[in-house]
Amino acid sequence: MALTRRSFVRTAGIGAGAALTANVWGRGRENSVWSAIEPDLQAVEKGVICIASNENPVGPGKKVLDSLRALLEGGARPGRYSNQGGELADAIASHFKVKTENVLLSEGSTEILRAATQVFTAKTKPLVGTIPTYEECAGYAELIGNPVRGVKLNSEFKIDLDAYLAASKGAGLVFYCNPNNPTATYVGAKATRDFLQKLNSASPETTVLVDEAYFDYVTDPDHETHVPVALENPRVIVARTFSKAYGMAGLRQGYAIAHKDTIAKMRSWVGSSGTGSLNVFGMAAATVAIAQDASFTTNERNRNKAVRDMVTKWFNDRGMKPTDCQANFMFVNIGTPAKAFREACRAKGVMVARDFPPFEKTHARISLGTMEEMQKAVQVFGEILAKKSTAAA
Amino acid sequence: MSVSRRGFLQGLRAGRPTHAAEFMAARGHEEYVALMQQGRQGRGMMRPQLPPGVEAIRISSNENPLGPGKAAIDAILGKFPEANRYPFNSTPLDADLEILIAKLNSAKRENVVLGVGSQELLKNTARVFMSATKHLVIPSPTYGDPAGFAQNLLKYTVKSAPVEAKTLRTDLNALLPLVSGAGLVYLCNPNNPTATINSAKEISEFVAAVKKASPTTAVLIDEAYSDYVTDPGFQTAIPVALATPGVIVARTFSKAYGMAGVRIGYAIGDAATIKKMSAYRMPYNVNTFGVAAAVASLKDPQHIKDESARNKAVRDFTIKSLADLGYTSTDSQTNFIFTDIGKTMTAAAFREACAQKGVMVGRDFPPLEKQWARISLGTMEEMQKATDVFRSVLKSTTTTSSGKE
Repeated sequence: MALTRRSFVRTAGIGAGAALTANVWGRGRENSVWSAIEPDLQAVEKGVICIASNENPVGPGKKVLDSLRALLEGGARPGRYSNQGGELADAIASHFKVKTENVLLSEGSTEILRAATQVFTAKTKPLVGTIPTYEECAGYAELIGNPVRGVKLNSEFKIDLDAYLAASKGAGLVFYCNPNNPTATYVGAKATRDFLQKLNSASPETTVLVDEAYFDYVTDPDHETHVPVALENPRVIVARTFSKAYGMAGLRQGYAIAHKDTIAKMRSWVGSSGTGSLNVFGMAAATVAIAQDASFTTNERNRNKAVRDMVTKWFNDRGMKPTDCQANFMFVNIGTPAKAFREACRAKGVMVARDFPPFEKTHARISLGTMEEMQKAVQVFGEILAKKSTAAA
Repeated sequence: MSVSRRGFLQGLRAGRPTHAAEFMAARGHEEYVALMQQGRQGRGMMRPQLPPGVEAIRISSNENPLGPGKAAIDAILGKFPEANRYPFNSTPLDADLEILIAKLNSAKRENVVLGVGSQELLKNTARVFMSATKHLVIPSPTYGDPAGFAQNLLKYTVKSAPVEAKTLRTDLNALLPLVSGAGLVYLCNPNNPTATINSAKEISEFVAAVKKASPTTAVLIDEAYSDYVTDPGFQTAIPVALATPGVIVARTFSKAYGMAGVRIGYAIGDAATIKKMSAYRMPYNVNTFGVAAAVASLKDPQHIKDESARNKAVRDFTIKSLADLGYTSTDSQTNFIFTDIGKTMTAAAFREACAQKGVMVGRDFPPLEKQWARISLGTMEEMQKATDVFRSVLKSTTTTSSGKE
């Protein structure tokens, strides 16, 4: 069974307690490995509020969709192999003011996470990740038989930088998800730069994958991309995706930015340049999306922040504390098991996320929909959580 | 030139083409990939550009020149409001596509796994069934992806046996002695680039013989071109795969379904075998527009019948045109032909000469590249123009190079 196979925080030791051994990296609805054994998967019916998967509820925007529509209505057909990754790579390079050789396109950022794990971990060079974090790197390392080290977050649910540094020495790859999924917390740019520098001195053969999937949602003023670090340091890779702020989760476009030598090592392990190609809808949409001016991401960040502030206040007012959220989802101590909460929400037409061990007994991850959706959602939360506290009392 | 003849994105902007884009527009994706795999990058691999004003006829990558049918395009346009949803939250779900594929093949969802094109599945089959001590067995030549991945990236061993000398059909009897201890046997049926088939009877007997000689060896049968087969001796090996652990059939929407740019394929096999494949499946691998287009296409089987008939007419015309010039082709059951031009020129010389006249044909297929050329089939109109070019290229070189005719 997939679950048992995934009990793989074997070499943990540092920071990982014995209670965390099983199912710590266990996956949820958003993972196909799990979905294959989840018999009751159903489409999101009309009227159901889906705030389970950290999607952008408003999509890629009119400009992007109009461009795609114009292509299709103008006779463009997806009958040819794409052949045009170069155009998107150029557009990304131009956006970041880097060279095309520093850009690697991928099928979502998932493929970057897998490629980095493939290339930089080994039997003697573990993958290091926080507990919890986005599981793809750890899951893939386990799949290819390479060890995984888990490191607990600190009491604020942030990356514990000292413990992380200690655990990362000698590692093949360190997965640094910032903001972290599912906890929504963020480590400031300066602290991250220091971490990267210290690790590079202490363990020069260790590569760090900085996953900036939720970058555009951060409002902390100490906020910078680590792309400049990655360009200089061959041991740092930045992963990005069009699935979050750009609202294109369905179109599967991601990329890495790194030193050209690092990109070259990963290139043959991704379909965009090895033996496959990316889908043309995603490439066309992403090419238009990234060429938009900064107001697109600014507007989306502001839209999300207004919703986040409303939901944060709602929970705080009721004595349920979310973590310091810097993403388009929240991690909230609801004081009751996530499973019961999730099932109760589902019965009332609201889909929230799966369990995130080791916090599944107390915390729920709630993605942020539109303001209207979240106003309805908090009403549902109120009914359910009030009932819980009554029952407990 | 209609937009579909060019790349999908070219309508977006008239930007400076990149090196890769420039190369691929000139030579086709498959060749680009082949060169990348050989590590041959850089300006040196650029081939002559088209003369100014000449529009390319791209018959190099076995693509469907018309793209998908109306049902698929309508389905894609209908999915715009769900661009933001992962394929496990969209309508239809990626799982719905698996269920539909299963239903159409009298199987269950657990017998099906989706891939980003069949490419992902071909690679994952190598990962699942091969190891440093469990080699790959392939006919030579065949589609190069599984062997390239196994050899270059996984560093595993590949053993091959030549296709039959006269017919260029995959020689199953020659493969059999190589299978002992193998991790995987890869068959492409119809075979690319030779365009020939092995019959259903031959395939099922071969599978049985492999299982007898080497019970743990898996067999992957790539049926990318099966929708184009007109020989009644061919049948899909899906029933064999469903009944035999360790046998997988891979399919794609890139060929007859006209969705090479959409990147959806699938594999079918018995539940335990597919479960192993699913473990390697990239999470949320298929795009939601593609899922919707694939579902719509599968519900429109008449379109595929029409596409196969259209292709056959073009195939018959092109094979006859070349035969009239004195060049024989193999018994093509696909949307490309493989033609013996060896008495006149090599594939490289043919390709260069055709490119000068705006016709892009397939790359070299060693070890047959001195003699055989692969030509994908475009529309009838394209192939009428292309065969004019073939006539002038093959004729002029015959007279000038040998001086005998």
